[in-house]
Amino acid sequence: MTVTNANREPIIRVSDSGPDRSLPTSVSTSDTIVEVGSTGFTTIEPLVMVTRNGTTSFYPQCSSAKLEDIVSAVNETGDVTAAEPDATVDHDPETSQLPVPEGIGLEPGVRDVTGACGWRRPTSPADHKAAGGFVEPDPEAVFDLGDQLRGRGWGDLCHDSSLTETWEAVRAGDGEKTIVVNAQGPDADKLLLGSAPFEVLDGAVALAHAVGGDQVVVYTSTENRHTIETVREAVSAYPDLSLPVDIATGPAEHRAAEPTMALEAIEGNHRLEARIGPPGPESAGLHGQPTLVHTPRTLAHLSVAFRHGEPRNTRMVTVRGDVEAPATVEVPETGTLKTAVDAVKLTGEFKAASVGGQFGGITDDLDIGVDPAALSEANLGTEGVVHLLADERCVVKFVGQRTRYAAEENCGRCVPCREGTTQLADLLRDVYDGTYEPSKMRELTTVMETSSICAFGVEAGRPARTAVAEFEAEFEAHADGRCPAGSCLETLEV
Amino acid sequence: MSSEHHDTADAPPLTEKIAPGTASDPSTGSDAPATVTVDGQEVSVTAGSTLIDAIEAVDTDEYVPALCHYGREGIGPRSECRTCMVDTDAYGVVPACSFPAEDGLRVETDASEASQARDVNFDLVLSNHNLRCTTCGKNGRCELQDGAIEQEIEEPRYGVLDDRDEYEPLDDSSSFIQIDRNKCILCNRCVEACNDVQVEGVLRVEGSGNDTRIGFQSDVETMEESTCVSCGHCATVCPTGSLVEKGIEDATTIPLPGFTQKNSIGKSHENTGKTKGPMTPKKRQQETTEPQMDGGNDLVASADAAATEDNSPTDNWDDGESDWP
Ligand code: SF4
Ligand code: SF4
Ligand code: SF4
Ligand code: FES
Repeated sequence: MTVTNANREPIIRVSDSGPDRSLPTSVSTSDTIVEVGSTGFTTIEPLVMVTRNGTTSFYPQCSSAKLEDIVSAVNETGDVTAAEPDATVDHDPETSQLPVPEGIGLEPGVRDVTGACGWRRPTSPADHKAAGGFVEPDPEAVFDLGDQLRGRGWGDLCHDSSLTETWEAVRAGDGEKTIVVNAQGPDADKLLLGSAPFEVLDGAVALAHAVGGDQVVVYTSTENRHTIETVREAVSAYPDLSLPVDIATGPAEHRAAEPTMALEAIEGNHRLEARIGPPGPESAGLHGQPTLVHTPRTLAHLSVAFRHGEPRNTRMVTVRGDVEAPATVEVPETGTLKTAVDAVKLTGEFKAASVGGQFGGITDDLDIGVDPAALSEANLGTEGVVHLLADERCVVKFVGQRTRYAAEENCGRCVPCREGTTQLADLLRDVYDGTYEPSKMRELTTVMETSSICAFGVEAGRPARTAVAEFEAEFEAHADGRCPAGSCLETLEV
Repeated sequence: MSSEHHDTADAPPLTEKIAPGTASDPSTGSDAPATVTVDGQEVSVTAGSTLIDAIEAVDTDEYVPALCHYGREGIGPRSECRTCMVDTDAYGVVPACSFPAEDGLRVETDASEASQARDVNFDLVLSNHNLRCTTCGKNGRCELQDGAIEQEIEEPRYGVLDDRDEYEPLDDSSSFIQIDRNKCILCNRCVEACNDVQVEGVLRVEGSGNDTRIGFQSDVETMEESTCVSCGHCATVCPTGSLVEKGIEDATTIPLPGFTQKNSIGKSHENTGKTKGPMTPKKRQQETTEPQMDGGNDLVASADAAATEDNSPTDNWDDGESDWP
């Protein structure tokens, strides 16, 4: 059964990323229910969609009882709108991308690289094929497209930098070459592997062919059970797979996403620390052999680019923090942080955002573009995670917690990060005792940035550094014994 | 480095199981002989060299401490202290000890960013060091002390480790080697000496973040309980007073009435009296009953234990409401 051709009979899609996946996939006598992946907008899940002849109706936050109702109403009348949907949209009957209705909150962003998410059955080769997938571009085409792309996320060996130079090194190298799909990173990567694994695998397989790779290893956290299961199914369903695709897991630790620590984990080291370089993994990677490490985002962008003949200039951004439910949204590079933030409901008045993952930069300005150049210009991170802080949050406390996290979670190898994060956390704690030394903090974060071995230490000082620049008054208030947000009161009263 | 263990006739089963806890670094030396310019002076170095080899060959404009650099016996580069940062025309600020000496590269030691990094990182090393040279067995022959004098450090910006609650107990349990982790700079020389040179597989790096420490692969707490054969290699390579051969741990101590290296900490692991010869009880037991090294099972068990500890059940990307400050 291919979804796209099943228009004469109504087809019912269930999109649910929740841990329990409560909705049954078979109700009463109906067998037309299919499970699709998450749309990225968790707040409306479980989401049920009923499609027939180019019309789809939407039932957000759907219960099992409601699903029973929908099934019987639709079976009786053949009408997709029979069970009072929250929204309905008309679309190309053959569409392979989620058609976006108005009114249930799915509007923000675009659905291009994430087109499959919430629409196609994640592990159905037929659905992927109908969407134009499983193309086998020739190596030169892969390099041409790679030239126009940048690596996405800190787990990518080519984070924010050109891909093809690194690919050339692997192509020119000797030995057993591996493409590592690094899915230890943020929600966007989990979304792609869980909802659109073929997009990621297509990119990895084509890249392997282009550089003469021998194998693909999908690497994720032991805790991402759903991802592991989905990838396993997708690999065994992948038509005519021409090289081995293995799955490897590492501990559920932030640092385990760092590309060289990913290699250590895949090699089975019981303790993860970063490797030094140069040379980097492109010449001495997995077991000392030439290796590429890319995130699912990078690879999905590559594979979608094959179909269009050019890359899609979009960024995947997850918005979380003080929100009702996190959302992962694909934003055109011409868009701003505001576009992404529109995808969620804040639980208070907006105060600030930490932009760029665990060690993002702090800002109160959402009119900043989401393209890497604009973000870097604004001292923000490009990791694709925006953590929102509502007005009752204290920025000093937030960066203190992030800094302490860095002190506890770094691998322990290099001094600027191992000792630097500890000293930085101490300097932030000293503010509560009245000692606020912004220049000392700036000096320390600068050295952490210029001399740490890996991106963990390079970025670990960013929350403190940017918060001191953007929220100076809050730090001064704390040094005077006041917490403007009122959340550090107990500490200050002592 | 640590990944390459050559099989020797008497030790193949051991090498298989050696788990030093460190990364399998690539070799970072240059592919070919190279000529680089250091502070305006041309220096030629052999294949396999890093920038530190060129720097050591000339008088540099500024002092480059390079605390963790050893450069002998195939030990290192660990490249962890980052007190060897220098500026290069092509790559910006890089660690001299592990950066390949590339032909034509121009190196400056006095560029402000590099200089600042060496300075701050040296102070960061001291911030976690129990700086009590007067009661230390390495006083006068300590690489850290030498570096601090040369660097003209008077008042380290982050202070020194002087909070007694934070001190790790001194391990005085072995009759041959004393460990004072409060003086360890985590240069990893001892671990490499033990695993890669002696192929004994006793020492390892364990933990992460500020809990990173030198420990034992057999998952025990003290030197006496470990599989140590008392070869002393680790103490020979240790740059500080962290690993010192017994008998000389007080050798260079300035005789302050009532002060010794041991009571400088206030707590220690003592010898249990079970140790008689150069081999620890654990090692003797292995040698007699289990020539295959029983550390094998221990290693697996300890790896599991480490993994469980590491696996915090919380969402790693959101530390949310943890107490602060
Ligand atoms: S920067 Fe931090 S995480 Fe990276 S090697 Fe250094 S200590 Fe480890
Ligand atoms: S190891 Fe001993 S001699 Fe060296 S700096 Fe530390 S206390 Fe001083
Ligand atoms: S004990 Fe000595 S040799 Fe070993 S890591 Fe510490 S300072 Fe280096
Ligand atoms: S000597 Fe280069 S990092 Fe320590």
